[in-house]
Amino acid sequence: MAAIRSASWRRTAGDPALLGAVVGVWVLLLLFVLFPMAHLLERAFVDDGRFTLAPLLESLADPSHRAAFVNSLVLATSVGVCGTALGFLFALTAARGGLGRHWLTFLDAAALLPLVSPPFTTSISIIFSFGPKGFITHDLLGLANASVYGFWSTALAETLTYFPIAYLTLRPILAAIDPNLEEMALSLGGSRWRTFRTVTLPLAVPGFANSFLLLFAASLADFATPLILAGNSFPVLPTQAYLQITGLFDFKGGAVLSLILLVPAAAVFLLQRYWVGRRTYVTVTGKVGQRSRTRAIAPWVVALLTGACVAVAAVIAYFYALLLVASLVVAFGANNSFTLHHYHVIFTEGLPAIRDTLIIAAIGMPLGGLYGVLVGYLIARRDFPGKQAMEIVAMINYALPGTIVGIAYLIAFNDPPVALTGGALVIVACYVFRYSPTGIRAAVAQLQQIDRSIEEASASLGAGVGQTFRRVTLPLIAPAFFAGLGVVFIRSMTAISATIFLVSINWMLITVRILENMTELALGPAAAFSVFVIVVVFVVVAGLSLVLARLRAPAAGGAARSFLGG
Amino acid sequence: MAPVDIVLDRVSKRFDHTVKGQVYAVRDVSLSVAQGELLTLLGPSGCGKSTTLRMIAGFEDPDDGAILIGGRDVTHALPNKRGIGFMFQNYALFPHLSVFENVAYGLKVQGRDGPSVQRAVTDVLELVGLSKYERQQPHQLSGGEQQRVALARAVVFEPQVLLFDEPLSNLDAKLRVEMREQIRSLQRRVGITTVYVTHDQEEAMAISDRIVVMDRGVVVQQGVARELYYRPATEFVARFIGRTNILAGTVTSAGEVEVGGLRLPIATGRAVGAAVQIVARPEMIELRDGSAESPADGRVVTRTFLGEKTDYLVSVGATNLQVSMTDHHRRQPFEVGQPVGLRFHVDAMHVLA
Repeated sequence: MAAIRSASWRRTAGDPALLGAVVGVWVLLLLFVLFPMAHLLERAFVDDGRFTLAPLLESLADPSHRAAFVNSLVLATSVGVCGTALGFLFALTAARGGLGRHWLTFLDAAALLPLVSPPFTTSISIIFSFGPKGFITHDLLGLANASVYGFWSTALAETLTYFPIAYLTLRPILAAIDPNLEEMALSLGGSRWRTFRTVTLPLAVPGFANSFLLLFAASLADFATPLILAGNSFPVLPTQAYLQITGLFDFKGGAVLSLILLVPAAAVFLLQRYWVGRRTYVTVTGKVGQRSRTRAIAPWVVALLTGACVAVAAVIAYFYALLLVASLVVAFGANNSFTLHHYHVIFTEGLPAIRDTLIIAAIGMPLGGLYGVLVGYLIARRDFPGKQAMEIVAMINYALPGTIVGIAYLIAFNDPPVALTGGALVIVACYVFRYSPTGIRAAVAQLQQIDRSIEEASASLGAGVGQTFRRVTLPLIAPAFFAGLGVVFIRSMTAISATIFLVSINWMLITVRILENMTELALGPAAAFSVFVIVVVFVVVAGLSLVLARLRAPAAGGAARSFLGG
Repeated sequence: MAPVDIVLDRVSKRFDHTVKGQVYAVRDVSLSVAQGELLTLLGPSGCGKSTTLRMIAGFEDPDDGAILIGGRDVTHALPNKRGIGFMFQNYALFPHLSVFENVAYGLKVQGRDGPSVQRAVTDVLELVGLSKYERQQPHQLSGGEQQRVALARAVVFEPQVLLFDEPLSNLDAKLRVEMREQIRSLQRRVGITTVYVTHDQEEAMAISDRIVVMDRGVVVQQGVARELYYRPATEFVARFIGRTNILAGTVTSAGEVEVGGLRLPIATGRAVGAAVQIVARPEMIELRDGSAESPADGRVVTRTFLGEKTDYLVSVGATNLQVSMTDHHRRQPFEVGQPVGLRFHVDAMHVLA
C-alpha cells in the first residue's frame, strides 16, 4: 500500500506538467469552492470564536422559517411527481409512438425551449395569463382581481420549466428497452395494457426515481420562480434566505437558512448519484432508436398520447407567444397597440446589463470549457494523490442550490483578504465553478470511450504530458469541450439564484434587471429582455450544435442534452 | 545508431485486489536483452508479460527493482524520456490524424523541421508498403494496413528499442504470418533491440532470437526455441510450448523407466524406485501394426487427418497418448479400435527435473 502510494507521489512529483495542473486546479478549488463554503459554515456556526448551534436552533424555532422549509419540500415533491408524469408522457410518445421525424423534432423543441430560457419566462407569462389583468382570467373569463400568486402557480411554472429534465432522463431508458421484450410478452398472450404494466413500467422504474430526484433538486434550488409567483402566503427557503440578506442585511440568518436548505439538497444529490444512478436495468448501446416502431401500444393510445403532448406543447407555445406579444405592445392587457418602445428601453437604459452579461458570459465560456476538460482529463486519466477528493470538491458548487453558493461567495469575498465582490471576476468564477461540472462529466464520459493506449502511444513517441494533452487528448474530447462551453454560456445568460447576491452597480446582469422590472411592474421591458436572452441563447446553441455535428458527435439530441447538463 | 541492451533486475509490480489483497502482477523478474536481439515474452493471459513490457516502456511504474536501457537507469523515467517505439495490440492510431500525421507525430514532437519530417515519413511508408496512403484517415484502412501504419510510426523516429504488445492478435491467420515476417525482416535490417509479447507459441518460435516463458508473474524458463521445446524446465513449459504427453513413470534400473507397463530405455540419473515425469512429444512416438509386433501396446481411440500429418489418440492402460504420424502418405491409416504397437524415440524424450 505504502509503496504504491509513494509511487503515485513520485510519478506526480516527477512530472512538471501534471504537478502544475493538479496544484493549479487545487488552488482554484480551494479559493472558489472550499474557502466560500468554510466562510459560510463559520458565519453560521461560529460566534465570538466559539462553535454554537444557537442561530440554527433559533432559526428552526421561527414558525415562518419552519413553514418555508415545509413549503419547499411540498413544492419540490409536487414538481417532482407532476414533472416526471409529464416527462414520461413525452418520453413514451417519442420512444414508443412510432412517430415521424417531424413530430419528434416538434416534441424535442417544445420540451427543450423551457430549459434554455431565462428563469422568469414562464412566470411572466403566467402573470400575463392569470393575473388580475390576465389574458385568460380577466379578458376571457371576466374574473376581477384573480389572485395568481401562491402554491399552484409556482408549481405549474416549475413543472413546465423542469419537466424536460424528466423527458431527457426517461426517453433513452424507454428507447433502450428492447421492444422484443414487449413483443415477447404480447406473444405469450398478455394484453397490451398488461404488457405495459408488467414489462415496460417495471423496467422504467429506476428512470422514474432518477427523474423524480432530479426534479426535486431543481425545484428545491429554484429561486426565481417562487420569488415572482409564490408571494407572501407561500414562502420557500431560497427566497427567505434572499430576503433575509437583501431585506434585513442579516448575513448570519441568510447563511443559516441556506444551510437548512442544504440538508435535503445534499441528501437528494447523494441518493441520485450513488444509489439510483447505478440502478438502471438497461444499458444504452447506441443502437437504439431505429427499432422504436412497435405494436405494443394500440393506435388509439398513440393518438391519445400524441394529442396530450400537443396540448402541453401548445400551452408552452402559448406562453412564449404571449411573452413575445407582451414585449411588442404598450401595456399588455391595458393598451394592446404595437410598439418597439420596450426594445428601445432595453437597448438604451438596459444596455449596460446586456453588455455586462455578454462580457461575463464571453469570459466565462472559454474558461469554463477549458477548466471542465482539464479536470475531466485529470480525473479520468491521470493518477495522482487526492484524485477522489478533487472529483468530489469539483462537484460541490454544482450540487448545491445556487442560493447557498451565492451567499457563500458574498460572505467570503466581501472583505479582505479576498475582496472580489462588486467586480466581474467573482461572477465569472461563480459561473465557471458552478456550471463546469457538466463539462467535467462530459469529458470523463468521452475519455472512458477512448482507449488509453492512444495517449500511451503519444508518450512512447516522445511527447510529454502537456504535449499529449494538447495534440491528442484535446482534439479527441472536443465535443465535451464544446458542450461545456455551451452550458456555461447558457447559464451565464439565464442564471440568477447565485449571482443575484454578487451583482453591483458596476456589473449588472440581464436576469437581475428582469427581476427589478418585475418588481417595478415594468412587465414590457421584462418581456423584451426575456425574448432577447432566448434569441441569443438559441443562436449560440445552434452554432455550437453545428460545430458539434461537424465533430461527429453523437446524435443531435445528445448534443442538445449535453448542453442542458442532464 | 548503435543498438543498446536492456536489463531488468528483480523487477516487481504489485496491485491491490479487492478480494485477494495485494497481488503480484510481476514478481522478481530478471532478464537481459542483448544489443540487436529480438526477445519474446511468452505466456498465457495474466502471466505478467504485458505488465513487464509496459514497465520497460514506462507506462507502469515498478514497485521494486531496476530497469536499464543502454546502461542508463530508466526505472522511474517517463515513457517519453526512454527512446522507445511501442506497438499496441489495438494499434492506437490517432483517430483524428491522417496516416502521414500519425507517422510524423514523433518527429514533430522532436521538433524536426518540415522537409526532414517529410523525407523520413515518405521513406518509412515506402518501407512498409503504404506509399499512397499518406492522406488517408485511420478508419479508412484495413486491419493489416493500420498495423503497418503503427509499425511505421513506431520505427520512424529511430527509437533505441522497439516494444511490441501482441501486435498481431487482431489479424486473421494468414495476415498474421505475413506481418510477422515483415516485422522480423525490418527488425533484422535496422538491427534494433526488440522485446515482443505474445501468447502464441508458434509466433514466438517463428520470430524470436530468444524466448522468455512467464507464468503467474515469474519467469519460468528462457532460451532459444529448440531448448524450450526439447528441454522444457517444467511441466508448464512442456505443455505451453507445443503439444506433449507427460508420462508418469518409475525408475526400475539405471537405464530403464517403467511407464504404464511399458519398459523404456531412458537414463534418468535417479535412484531406483523414484517417480519421474517424461516429456514425450507426439512425433516422438510411432505406431506399428499390433499384429506384426506382438504384443499390442495400446488401442486407437480417435484418428484426425490434418493433411500434413495424422493425429491419433491411443489408449495405453489407464492413460491416453497423443501420437502424430507424418508418414501417412506411405501407409494405410490405423483404424479406430485397432490394437497397435508403440515405438518411442527415447533419445529425444526429456526427463523433467
